[in-house]
Amino acid sequence: MPRPYGLLRAGFPYLKSLGMRRLTNFPIDIALGSDGWMYVLCRQDGTALVRKYSFEDEDGGNFGDVGDDEGKLQWPVSIIADSEENLFISDEALNRISCFSSDGEFISSFGEYGVEKGQLDRPAGLAFDAEENIYVVDSKNHRLQKFTKNGELILGWGSHGDGEGQFDLPWGITVDELGDVYVADWRNDRVQKFTSDGDFIMEFGHSGTGNGEFNRPTDVTVDMDGDIYVCDRGNNRVQLFNAEAGYVDKFVGDATLSQVAREYMMTNASPNRIRDMAVLEPQKLLRQPRSIAVDSDGHLFITDTGSYRIQVYQKEAIHLEPHQFAPPMRSVTLHQE
Amino acid sequence: MVQAVKTQTDPALVAHLYRRAGFGITREQVDRLSERDYADIVDFLLNPLPSNGVHDDEVSRYMGGESPHAYLATWIFRMINSENQLQEKMALFWHHVFATGLAKNEHVLSASNQIEMFRSNGMSDMRTILLDLSRDPAMIFWLDNNENHKSEPNENYGRELLELFSLGVGNYTEIDIKNAARAFTGWTFAQSPPLYPHGYYPCDFVFEEENHDNSEKEFLGHTGNFDGGDVIDIIVDQPACAAFISRHLYNFFVADEPQVPTWNEVAPLDPQLIDAMSEAFMNSGGDIKSVLRVMFNSNAFKDARFKKVKSPIELVAGILKMVGNFDDFRPGLSAYADSTTVVMGQKLLDPPSVEGWHTGKEWIDGGNLTERVNFAVSEIGDGESPGVQRIIDRIIDSGSLVAPEDFVDSALDAMGPITVEDSTSEALMKFARDSEGIDDRLRAVRIISLIVSTPEYQFA
Repeated sequence: MPRPYGLLRAGFPYLKSLGMRRLTNFPIDIALGSDGWMYVLCRQDGTALVRKYSFEDEDGGNFGDVGDDEGKLQWPVSIIADSEENLFISDEALNRISCFSSDGEFISSFGEYGVEKGQLDRPAGLAFDAEENIYVVDSKNHRLQKFTKNGELILGWGSHGDGEGQFDLPWGITVDELGDVYVADWRNDRVQKFTSDGDFIMEFGHSGTGNGEFNRPTDVTVDMDGDIYVCDRGNNRVQLFNAEAGYVDKFVGDATLSQVAREYMMTNASPNRIRDMAVLEPQKLLRQPRSIAVDSDGHLFITDTGSYRIQVYQKEAIHLEPHQFAPPMRSVTLHQE
Repeated sequence: MVQAVKTQTDPALVAHLYRRAGFGITREQVDRLSERDYADIVDFLLNPLPSNGVHDDEVSRYMGGESPHAYLATWIFRMINSENQLQEKMALFWHHVFATGLAKNEHVLSASNQIEMFRSNGMSDMRTILLDLSRDPAMIFWLDNNENHKSEPNENYGRELLELFSLGVGNYTEIDIKNAARAFTGWTFAQSPPLYPHGYYPCDFVFEEENHDNSEKEFLGHTGNFDGGDVIDIIVDQPACAAFISRHLYNFFVADEPQVPTWNEVAPLDPQLIDAMSEAFMNSGGDIKSVLRVMFNSNAFKDARFKKVKSPIELVAGILKMVGNFDDFRPGLSAYADSTTVVMGQKLLDPPSVEGWHTGKEWIDGGNLTERVNFAVSEIGDGESPGVQRIIDRIIDSGSLVAPEDFVDSALDAMGPITVEDSTSEALMKFARDSEGIDDRLRAVRIISLIVSTPEYQFA
């Protein structure tokens, strides 16, 4: 579907939260599946698992064992689902990408430690292109590499630095519907955009706490309208930019109790009393959000890692035709008609 | 041709300083630091660098989490890799002195924040340290100051502040305890949300004016409407505070003293050094760096080698640093805090009582000595570890493998340098003679494994 000529941004309200402590433990990434299911990647030292979770706050079980052997995980970072809902997970401790079925059955893996082409040093973000080849953020080698699903290297680019096309410990990545590639260039506090061949298109952001500034951005995604979302983890927020990287809005957290959290609290008297004694304002805010995802229904999913949940927002935007949206203006104006 | 660099400080002394003021040191680091004057090295330790080799953003990226073992993994990582070794050691020192336990507190974030506080203020001045401590939610809850009300004072914090944290038994009266407690009424914290469903949230100090006793109090010979800050001011001015903190520092860094409760009956091992440290304390208004500078530069400290039993975390962090498997972020560190040090008798963040851990020879009994030796041998015996590889290379490169005596000397040098008793030296010599002919690298691994299993290696 082509991008809209113009966009009437009607609002972007908070919708709901999913999960809670002990269920979605330290969620660091999600892959959206079919029929309202998602796969939540959870990681803490000593724990690495994927929890299947529904948009209705239902637990669909989990899989994942900690270890070095094939089919096991140590320090997983990112999860993506292909068209058959097979799950690909990067592991920055084991320097490999592992593939599992949606039921958790191990299928295959590729990757080995090293600095040569095709080798990996702390693989982080993952993204599919339209042919379902996999872009891997080869974080500590400060580059991107693109592989087939079988692990055959297709291309790669990037080196260490802060110039165009250079990276400093990059983390998240996404590919838009046009095939362009966006990378959260973590320690450079910016996002870079490239063509699918690695030609530099643009960059935006720098260090800071103001609008359009970042403190170690961890993820980036693009929705069907071309809007760009950046997970600004160090500033505990997600920022929204238009397709030209103009700052639009930010999400700092508006959480309410998820359904499972409500059910838990209904049967636990002591936490209810303590909760009644506490200032609750901080509980709605994002804490070290790690990743973001969007779906075709305009939902924005934020893995609110530090608070063991996913916050969901609903985009409300109307596509505008040329007769509804004036041509670009040369200058700003005070004309208010 | 490489120009030989003049050594200004005996490498063995550098190694000694870093075993005490830090968590050990690699032999390569010893080489580099030996080029500097000893007093300069002490000053380097006393003045933490803003950039210390451990990036906070990377710690958060790779090792995030809010469980006790996740936090402790980050602390051990800093013990191993931070350039600011003394800063980390002082955080551990104050954790010993101001022992606060998770067994009661449960609130992991407050426990870890307390350690962060010690890292931040541990080398400041005693007034700042005691004031921060008195406002610390973990301490407030640990010693019930949240139950210390104007209408019903609770003396726990006031008592321990004087007995264990600043003056020691014999330097205050029961009246002083009661009035110190009254001065701290209303010092509490705001309730944070419960752990479920969204994890720990920070606790913040709160002063409840309406719950504070504003009446006149007598304290250590002074009279006035004192609050907690005033009480701390009076405490820090006491020569007894200077002597007590100096003795704590001596016990932690120089040589094992008897346990704290006996200090009003048993004289210090080295009254002269304690006096010099106390003088530095009094002359500087309780500046901890000034006291540490006197202590580390004293001949008594320099001569006190292998006279202090390593605490479990000192042993573990020192071995891990030497082995070199955690020079970069990788999984597995939490197990050392979660089980390795625990079976040796030290569960960080959870000391056994307000008195903290009993130190010295009480660290060692038959059971945990086995654990200590097995751990050290297991780690050092892994010849594939990068640090062990470097040690082996150093021994082999020294060309010492032919003569047994040279072989032993080079191994002891590569592992510290460290010195051992004659009986230990003879045992090592026997191994050196008996092992002639086996593969050089295997032989080197075996002798360094023997070295870490010697009695001397249990001492810093």
